Amino acid sequence: MLKYIARRLIIMIPELLIISFIVFVIMQAAPGDFLDMYRLDPSVSQQFLQKMEKELGLDKPWIVQYGIWLKNVLKGDFGYSFYYRRPVSTLIWERVFATVILSVSSLAFQWILGIIVGVFSALKKYSIWDKILTVVAFSGIALPGFFLAILLLFIAAKTGWFPIAGMVSVNHSQMSTWERFKDIASHLVLPTIALGFGGFASLMRYMRGSLLDVLNEDYVEFARAKGMPERVVIYKHALRNAINPMITFLGFSISSVLGGAVIIENIFAWPGMGRLIYQALLQQDIYIVMASAVISAVMLVIGNLVADILLAAVDPRVRFE
Amino acid sequence: MRKLLVALSLVLALALFAELSPFAQFETYIGADATGQYGGTLVVPTLSGPRTCNDVVAQETSSTDVIGRFMASMIELDNHARIHPALAERWEIKQNEDGSMEIVWYLRKGIKWSDGTPFTADDVVFTINDVYFNPDIPNDMQDLFADNWPVAEKIDDYTLKTTLKKTYRLAIRYIGGIPIFPKHLAESYVKEGKFKEFWTVDAINNGEIVGLGPFIPVEYVPDQYVRFVRNPYYWKHDKDGKQLPYLDGIIFKIIPTQDAQRLAFENGEVDVYGPRGTEYAEIKAMAEEKGWVVGVGGPNFGTTFVTFNWNTPDPVKRKWFRNEFFRKAVAYAIDKQSMIDTLYNGLAVEQWGPISQAATVYYDESVLRKYPYNLDLARTMLKLGGFKWDENGQLLDGEGNPVKFILLTNAGNQVREGMGNIITEALKKLGMDVTFAPIDFNTLVQKLVVNGDWEAVIIGLTGSDEPQGGANVWRIKGALHFWNYHPEVKDFVDPNDYYSPDWEKEIDRIFEENVKILDQEKVVDMFREFQRLVSEHLPLIYTTQQLYLYAYSNKLHNLDPTAFGGMWGWNQECIWKEQ
Repeated sequence: MLKYIARRLIIMIPELLIISFIVFVIMQAAPGDFLDMYRLDPSVSQQFLQKMEKELGLDKPWIVQYGIWLKNVLKGDFGYSFYYRRPVSTLIWERVFATVILSVSSLAFQWILGIIVGVFSALKKYSIWDKILTVVAFSGIALPGFFLAILLLFIAAKTGWFPIAGMVSVNHSQMSTWERFKDIASHLVLPTIALGFGGFASLMRYMRGSLLDVLNEDYVEFARAKGMPERVVIYKHALRNAINPMITFLGFSISSVLGGAVIIENIFAWPGMGRLIYQALLQQDIYIVMASAVISAVMLVIGNLVADILLAAVDPRVRFE
Repeated sequence: MRKLLVALSLVLALALFAELSPFAQFETYIGADATGQYGGTLVVPTLSGPRTCNDVVAQETSSTDVIGRFMASMIELDNHARIHPALAERWEIKQNEDGSMEIVWYLRKGIKWSDGTPFTADDVVFTINDVYFNPDIPNDMQDLFADNWPVAEKIDDYTLKTTLKKTYRLAIRYIGGIPIFPKHLAESYVKEGKFKEFWTVDAINNGEIVGLGPFIPVEYVPDQYVRFVRNPYYWKHDKDGKQLPYLDGIIFKIIPTQDAQRLAFENGEVDVYGPRGTEYAEIKAMAEEKGWVVGVGGPNFGTTFVTFNWNTPDPVKRKWFRNEFFRKAVAYAIDKQSMIDTLYNGLAVEQWGPISQAATVYYDESVLRKYPYNLDLARTMLKLGGFKWDENGQLLDGEGNPVKFILLTNAGNQVREGMGNIITEALKKLGMDVTFAPIDFNTLVQKLVVNGDWEAVIIGLTGSDEPQGGANVWRIKGALHFWNYHPEVKDFVDPNDYYSPDWEKEIDRIFEENVKILDQEKVVDMFREFQRLVSEHLPLIYTTQQLYLYAYSNKLHNLDPTAFGGMWGWNQECIWKEQ
């Protein structure tokens, strides 16, 4: 198994090289560069623009720029952000905490609730509850995340139950530890729902379908016929088999942990990586984009690896070569 | 002995007429006649956080908004761009026979930095000579002075002299407006050649920011907020002798979308909000119930206009665009009123010339030629310009080429997209085959500034109360003279085909000469002529200007929002908040 993991990790190296190269080419193919936002400003002079071009290395051919970037990354230096004039690694690191807590809470929200409600719905097939939950799920899948986010914000503004924007209150630094925890938790509720609701809805439908499939299998009928208690049939045999396909999804979910909920973070002023990357894309702040692309690629590979390992753990039929 | 040609103290001479004269300079600092109560924290929404706290590096308002709280300069401008003395109590201007210009600045005594260090002429001399006019630290200030950099010289601890080789009209405003750096902290960075690393945003949390302004930033949580506390050594006192500022502090709450900002304002999480035209009526209606002050502060400085590329790649089209009658026809085809009604909910004004109505000193409506919406007059102009129509109503030029072009703007700007549709519709009625194409902003910039591959565009520029700020646009060799770049500036312009009419040269001369004249009346006359020329010959065809809209909690006092002063920044030290 260790050999298998090592091989997967080694394959990652050429993958990352190719991905980073493609992202760089795409960034270069996009018209203009970082300095464009200054080019139509009457107060910014030509000399300043030329000086900046030189300073940022934008006057060099793109292939040379890529080579320099790659060389620095191998040395562990992800470059400077043009906009912030600070190291990319610092900027990303500052935002990792916010992104991780939002991702973890929304993953937990969608997975725990999705599985519980999915199982409930499958067991109460065609009941009134199943129908209500089905309607909720389909509207969750159909409703765009940003719309739900704005709706939640609107409700918050009308009721005053939740803070509108940000991760912390402006007097956060003067609070006790417990107050700080409550402060972040209250800011976390709405973005978690906005981010997790779509995922929850589809997970619930998958779980329901998967469990229903398994419940129709011969071995379940056999177990019931043997007189096994219904509780054991469902929770020990059926559920365990029904959960397999879900684990593959979990792999993809992990890959999105740091990728960012770009739109949700923007709407809720959540200080995560998604917002940093979104801004960087708009401003063509290329090294932030590159770093985030590499991180996303790494997370995708690792997420899939974790999913494969979990799958092997729960399903004895899956074996590592 | 050096003879003095002119020696005058503008402060004393003009103070008496301060309220009346458009060039007013005040005897008192901003806040000298304020009254208020201590306490409270002002919470302001902002779209993004600062990128630096170093004014030399800062390019965008998210950074300069932070810097403007803790840095101060020798003079200050109020909400109508009138000059007030600040760190300098007064100044004297001398014009020497050799054409040079000297300004003697008398600093206030007893001012201290926020760390308690005394402020002296050394700080100002250091800031002018070693920071802003240091060839190793390129910055915008150097461009403002071109080849006429000021040199500062200390006379005593509270007096200094700045000398310019040539007379420069804006010297007081620009030199006086330089934010002063603390020599005792910044000098080592300059000497080591790493001044750009001075006061990065990390300096806020490290407690390294020291200033002369009323508030000092002490905490920055990235993408969340910036917190300022009052400067305990701030020098200003109000009418009753109370030390300013009144507020305990200010918080910039970073909220990246306008929608969320509005909801945060409704929820009482922030104290001020800049409404959009489309939501103004709704906010105004809620004002009483919510306890808000909501109002209109006159036109903004920003402009929006249509312009044509006189050097477009197709030689046939160049001819049309250089034809003044063609441009006049387009001007008559712009329905400004319907733009105001449909795009701004009525909260905008028509613009006819290059200077905003908000620039009250220079704006002169009487010299502007106006082109009210009238398609018949537009057709007459086209006939005068040698155009004709075929049997299908398609417009043809003198050689029989159908008039057909692409009108660009940047996608995502709903107002410009709306204007594009209104203008295209009208031009089609004149028989022009116009394709309106909103494109990506970066692509548009490339076309306008880098390769010249465009035909017509709707675009806007930021403006200011001082027309000279547009020199980059109006000088013939200016880097943003985009409708008719000079061949020496852009190599895509064919020197053999380059054409510059006399009025363009006259505008160039106005922008060259006005800065050498200290007599404001003469300067106003020159810019009057500038407005007349532009509105007559229409290199840029202006559309409409949005009004400045504001909303703030009625717990706040002493605000007087205008397009120039903004919601609150110009007199931040005088604002107070009911507890």
